[in-house]
Amino acid sequence: MIETKINQDASPQRLLCASRRAVLVALVVATLGAKLQGSEKNTVVFTDVTVYVGNGDVIEHGVVVVRDGRIAQVGANLATPSGATVIELAGGSLTPGLIDANAAVEPTDRMMVDRRSPRQVVADLFHGAHVGHRGGVVGCCGSRCPRQLQHASGKKCPLCGFPEVRPGMAVGVRRSPMSVENSSEVIPQTRVLDSVNLGSADFERLLEGGVTTVFVAPDAGAVISSQGAIVRTGGRRGDRIVRESGAVMATMGTEPSRGGFGNNLPIGQFVNFYNRRPTTRMGVAWVFRKALYDTARFEKGEVVYGADVPSKPAMRVLRRVLAGDVALRIQARMQHDILSSIRLAGEFGLKFTLVEATEAHRCLQELKETGTPVIYGPIYIDAPGTRRFTAEVERARLHTLRALLSAGVPTALTAHELRDEDGLARQAMYAKRFGVSLADVTRCVTQTPARLLGLADEIGLVSKGKRADLVLWNGEPFGGVSRPVVVMVGGEVVLDRRKG
Amino acid sequence: MKRRLSMQVGLLLVLALAPSATASVPAKVALKGGKIIPIVGEEIDEGTVLIEQGKITAVGKDVVIPYDAMVVDVSGKVVMPGMIDAHSSRGLDIRNEHLGVSPFLDVYDALDPSKLYFEDALRDGVTSIHVIVGHNCVIGGLSRVVHPIGMTPDEMTDQPSVALKLSVAPKRGSDRMAQMATFRETFRELGEYLENLAEKKYEESLEKKGEKIKVGPDEAKKLGKDLITPEDYDDKHRNLVKLTRGQLGAFVYARRAGDVAAALSLARAHGFFDRTTLVLGPRCYKAIDEIKASGRPVVLDAQLLYREENPVTGKITETFLPRVYADAGVAFSLLPSSNTSLAERYLNYQAARCVRNGISRKVALKSITINPARALGIDDRYGSLEVGKSASVVVMSGDPLDFSSWVEQVYINGVRAYQRDKDIRLKQLLGEEKPEVSKPADDGKKDDLPAGTQKDDSHDNIGGGKSKETSKKAEKKKG
Repeated sequence: MIETKINQDASPQRLLCASRRAVLVALVVATLGAKLQGSEKNTVVFTDVTVYVGNGDVIEHGVVVVRDGRIAQVGANLATPSGATVIELAGGSLTPGLIDANAAVEPTDRMMVDRRSPRQVVADLFHGAHVGHRGGVVGCCGSRCPRQLQHASGKKCPLCGFPEVRPGMAVGVRRSPMSVENSSEVIPQTRVLDSVNLGSADFERLLEGGVTTVFVAPDAGAVISSQGAIVRTGGRRGDRIVRESGAVMATMGTEPSRGGFGNNLPIGQFVNFYNRRPTTRMGVAWVFRKALYDTARFEKGEVVYGADVPSKPAMRVLRRVLAGDVALRIQARMQHDILSSIRLAGEFGLKFTLVEATEAHRCLQELKETGTPVIYGPIYIDAPGTRRFTAEVERARLHTLRALLSAGVPTALTAHELRDEDGLARQAMYAKRFGVSLADVTRCVTQTPARLLGLADEIGLVSKGKRADLVLWNGEPFGGVSRPVVVMVGGEVVLDRRKG
Repeated sequence: MKRRLSMQVGLLLVLALAPSATASVPAKVALKGGKIIPIVGEEIDEGTVLIEQGKITAVGKDVVIPYDAMVVDVSGKVVMPGMIDAHSSRGLDIRNEHLGVSPFLDVYDALDPSKLYFEDALRDGVTSIHVIVGHNCVIGGLSRVVHPIGMTPDEMTDQPSVALKLSVAPKRGSDRMAQMATFRETFRELGEYLENLAEKKYEESLEKKGEKIKVGPDEAKKLGKDLITPEDYDDKHRNLVKLTRGQLGAFVYARRAGDVAAALSLARAHGFFDRTTLVLGPRCYKAIDEIKASGRPVVLDAQLLYREENPVTGKITETFLPRVYADAGVAFSLLPSSNTSLAERYLNYQAARCVRNGISRKVALKSITINPARALGIDDRYGSLEVGKSASVVVMSGDPLDFSSWVEQVYINGVRAYQRDKDIRLKQLLGEEKPEVSKPADDGKKDDLPAGTQKDDSHDNIGGGKSKETSKKAEKKKG
């Protein structure tokens, strides 16, 4: 299912803003239209570039004319309108701005930089300077570390790498659990947008990597987590938020049961309904089922009772999920978690998008039969980040994306929290190495995620009428020696490295 | 770094790859028709590399191929010298041991041929690896250059006793004052040891002649100096003596810019400046002027992009480090990264990153071949495709700077050590070959439990009808 087919926020305020904006634009156009007629001040032209349209088509000696933030013309050997700003680069190629359909965005760029010496931090922790309310030691990454002893003895924390915090590794390198709401394992009423910092340097990192639009994904700490958001990585601030609340994220597997360590509380505290967490996949599936089952009862006006009843705000969102108004994503890595997701969603007649799907190559038949789209990635053999501690990544393979595409499963590629040499453009580069054609790979990071996010009218292709979110590369895109040199968001050049 | 597939497969692969000394391998091999990147000299679009008795005997467009040579058709492929890893601790069981000053250690004792790192190195086209201890030391121990083939450290070794590792950056738990004081004390103690040894040798020489000692200690020390032979040194001091006499290389690690001056002055003070290779952490680029002035070869840390945050404004500045060295004309060697990144572990990708950031292709390719060879003192045999050099050659499916290119064949000293179409592990990772599944002994016919076993099956239909069937079977058997 293409998620968010009706996820345009229908709140009255936004409608009002939209109508106000329409009036304003009409006024501006009316007054300035006459003055600007004939002038090409707002026009930018990319000349003599190889255009990778995004759907597999390639235009040699392409010319792309951008006007008022939109793509006005695309074709081979077109004439350059006079007075327009010309951007050219010998041997360059143009792609749509890349779209990461499952990006984990670092909320702040200063969080990871602890300016105390590591020894001081350990001493502070030991003396209880920062003890979480549910017990347990809180690392400098803010997360409640299950490996309490390792913090205390100065060994490396598996979640944040503490005590090896170094200033240079702040930006976009660590995932912060500021986007993981730990109050309950069913929290679809929360929105990840509320904890996203649009000024975070992570967005600059993304932009430099050629990514212009991201679905900000909530962390996988809860069973049914927050609603994601779609934001642009650059451009005018007023234009940055594309969708305030997107799909609801759910997780199958190890991560939502990691909070179950809270069930082993220090002496003096007791496990109760307020702090009990699932510790196994059975528990995770139970929470998922109970939440949706209780929502269905709530919807019918029946009494909701028993343990682990989701909150009313949560159920109000989940009933829209059951109705198909709010899309559902499920992150599952292992084969049995993927099959469980299909089974669980099937119990409620729900369509969903599968996320990460490390072992998708073992479930191709089931994915094909249910028509489940997949947001696959990142590509790895030695799992980066906190995945390594989930024991779910042992059977990762390099051909999974190729297998998914060959089986005809609609698949988008994501880099999730990885940046720089493992960012989305490089994920595409890896995919090419492991057997995916350039045409397919380009689609996986442009047209397909645009479709999955319901934004195919606006972005994802270099074609007339779409937003001018474009990336100019100094060579063939997704190659070892090429990188984004010019990045344009909404017709505005936000990065230009042609001299550097 | 864990691998999921069985060790047995790994050993099988190593066995399959390791050429035995007496195996019949072709004495002459001609790699014909490929694009040749010799590193020294111009690239040849279509040519031949002739290998005879493990050495390169011809490189060029029109090479006369002997009638008895095995001709390998590499048309459409690229032939280049085997790449060289100039500094790696990954073949050892631990990077450093606890003792700070340990010049008597030798990586030979810790070298583990079964490490997957060596298999990966071969797969990635690295034919020479400088195995050396890590940075967490004062004086770390003796390194050696190995090939990534062989079942024992002896089989793997290409050049023993290449260099001593020193670190100016303090050992963990220590600080720079203590580190430099330790160096001073070490060399002072070495001087004292040598003087005492000289005195002892003089006394011994007199004893042999039956004479009595007539001079004072100072005079005896002077007279005995020339009587010392290399066998007289104890383990603890032997390598230090060699170091101070320029008979060993010195790989000196500097972590921050200030360490560079300390490293160079240490080298000058104790006689190993002309054998010093600087191993530089990211922040050392700020001392580029001193580095250039020293003229010493440089090995760069695998982290090529350095980000620095301005403590006042919070603004982040990015520096692509090899560019600083390339612009200054300093010859540098790149290292493969040991982090989880899929791309940075390839030396040729690190070179591609350099080209991406404005460094010339020639310089980038040199930094993974001839520059590390020079830094290691093995450039008479490795690092380029030149007549007379050892035939360590890599055949790639395309240009080394194109990330979609794969290593197809690897020759080490003229012996074909790797072929991609026979690489089982790679096939499995790429989903091209299913791993062998062992069959059960009785072909799985008997799926019933022994008679009388209590079955723990629920009669709910959650698991489907199967549980009912098996319980029915049990009832049948009973009945």
